[in-house]
Amino acid sequence: MGRIVVAFFLVALSSGLAHAGLPIVGRGDAMRLDPSGFTPQMKANYDIVRVRCVKCHTLERTIVAIKTGVAPISGQPFDRSATKAYGVKMLRKPDSNMSKAEVKAAVDLLNYLLIQAER
Amino acid sequence: MKSRTLLAVLTFAVALAPLLRPGTAHAIPAFARQHNTECSTCHTIYPELNEFGDAFLKNGYVYPGKPRAAEAPAEGAPAKPRSEGLWLAGIPEQIPISFTGTLNVTYDKDASDKDQLDLAARALRLQAGGAFREAAGFFVTYNLYSQGTQNGAVLTPNTNRPDIDELYALWRHALGTPVNFRIGRMEPKLSLWKRSDRLIPVPSFASTAYTVGRSQFSVDSRSDALEANAILGNRVFVAGGVVDRKGQNTKDGYGHISVKFGGTDLKGQEPELDLEQESVWDYLSLTLGGFYYVGRDADIAGLNGIGQNGNRFYRAGTEADLIYKRLRLKGSGVFGADRNPDFTPVRPAADNETHAFAFEGEYLFGAPVNFAAVLRYELQDDAVGVTRRYIPAIVYAPLQNVRTSLQYNYEVTPERRNRITLASLSFSF
Repeated sequence: MGRIVVAFFLVALSSGLAHAGLPIVGRGDAMRLDPSGFTPQMKANYDIVRVRCVKCHTLERTIVAIKTGVAPISGQPFDRSATKAYGVKMLRKPDSNMSKAEVKAAVDLLNYLLIQAER
Repeated sequence: MKSRTLLAVLTFAVALAPLLRPGTAHAIPAFARQHNTECSTCHTIYPELNEFGDAFLKNGYVYPGKPRAAEAPAEGAPAKPRSEGLWLAGIPEQIPISFTGTLNVTYDKDASDKDQLDLAARALRLQAGGAFREAAGFFVTYNLYSQGTQNGAVLTPNTNRPDIDELYALWRHALGTPVNFRIGRMEPKLSLWKRSDRLIPVPSFASTAYTVGRSQFSVDSRSDALEANAILGNRVFVAGGVVDRKGQNTKDGYGHISVKFGGTDLKGQEPELDLEQESVWDYLSLTLGGFYYVGRDADIAGLNGIGQNGNRFYRAGTEADLIYKRLRLKGSGVFGADRNPDFTPVRPAADNETHAFAFEGEYLFGAPVNFAAVLRYELQDDAVGVTRRYIPAIVYAPLQNVRTSLQYNYEVTPERRNRITLASLSFSF
């Protein structure tokens, strides 16, 4: 009985394991970041990302790219040089309806998170 | 005992939970499944391609990016769950097949058969396509069933007539060069847009769909062809090929060139922008294209399929595609001449000269995009006389793989005026 209980808790813990450098909350489609430790500017940027970006895709896609350093769909490296290209892509995509200032805020946040993830 | 069983089931359920969770709503035709991405990656509202989708097509169905990036994950990244054996064999992990069903309702107050409201127009089409380890690829469209489909501006009742619409193989970057080869049944690369690359696919642009006399040739017709094409300098696309036409020895020939200014380049790379300053050029892209086709067809009825009373013809066209944010403008003009389009034993004294123009404006709404307003004007001047068409339409996509449209085709021909309202529902899976 005791072994089953231990196994249960181990499995439950492992399914929600987060990346050490990123304040990840939840998992799957509900995956989010906890911005409480962000700088005020990055908190404001995160407010833009969590509203704008999720109109078309989950935050999980973005967080996985930051965690692994690889864009999950294209398989291309997701580093500081790639974040601007993705920002430009979203700026020019009619679906996003994002202004240049919003895209810049998102790119700044991604670069900030990439640094956080490396720690 | 019961508690042990309960805990065991609970443990098993928690372990499986990550596998069972529902994902985001993805459209699922072949390419979306293959790349685990949504329709809007390549389409505005399907089947119309956006800039990235056009790059995907021109790159032989390989996800634009660094060479082999889609196959080999970057260093340090978790390996993709895939079968090495299948990869070595070049076999896609999933069978790249999808289907598109279309249901049409037409209303024609002046229908010659008195059937003003026609619900009996439907089609089911199979599509397959993909790349084999970025070295080769293929594309297939097979009409499984169609009835009452619209051909040009005219509803042509035809009952179940399955046929291969497209079936071609391609060799990417042959011998390490930028040149790709396509061989098989295909739409030769002439126009900037494939026949299906529109928000309202029927009717096709008059400039690419018109035929003359009894000749079946149109710019967008499927043909048995061998084509070479290449992206040059990321912004220029060239294509040329030969077409084998039934009942004769001589081959048709064609060429295409297009240049893209601004926007995503033809390899899917985004332009360098300054995120600090606004500029109208950041959102603007203009593609200009031109093509020439010269060929010969003939009457192959009877005489064991040997062509007789041949018709030499040519078509020359120029096109433009302008995108600015949510606005898109397309223009297409084609000139041509046919020597003997009715295949008469005595050739006419003069060539039958024709020209056609099509202009279309569209505006996208929604974030994500799910609604579009379209307005098209067409002018076609052929042996029959001048025909004009005015086609306003609206398109709504409640899901990325479900599309509805409502269009009004107002056509003025030398003989009559046609007013046809067409409502269409199509879905891909």
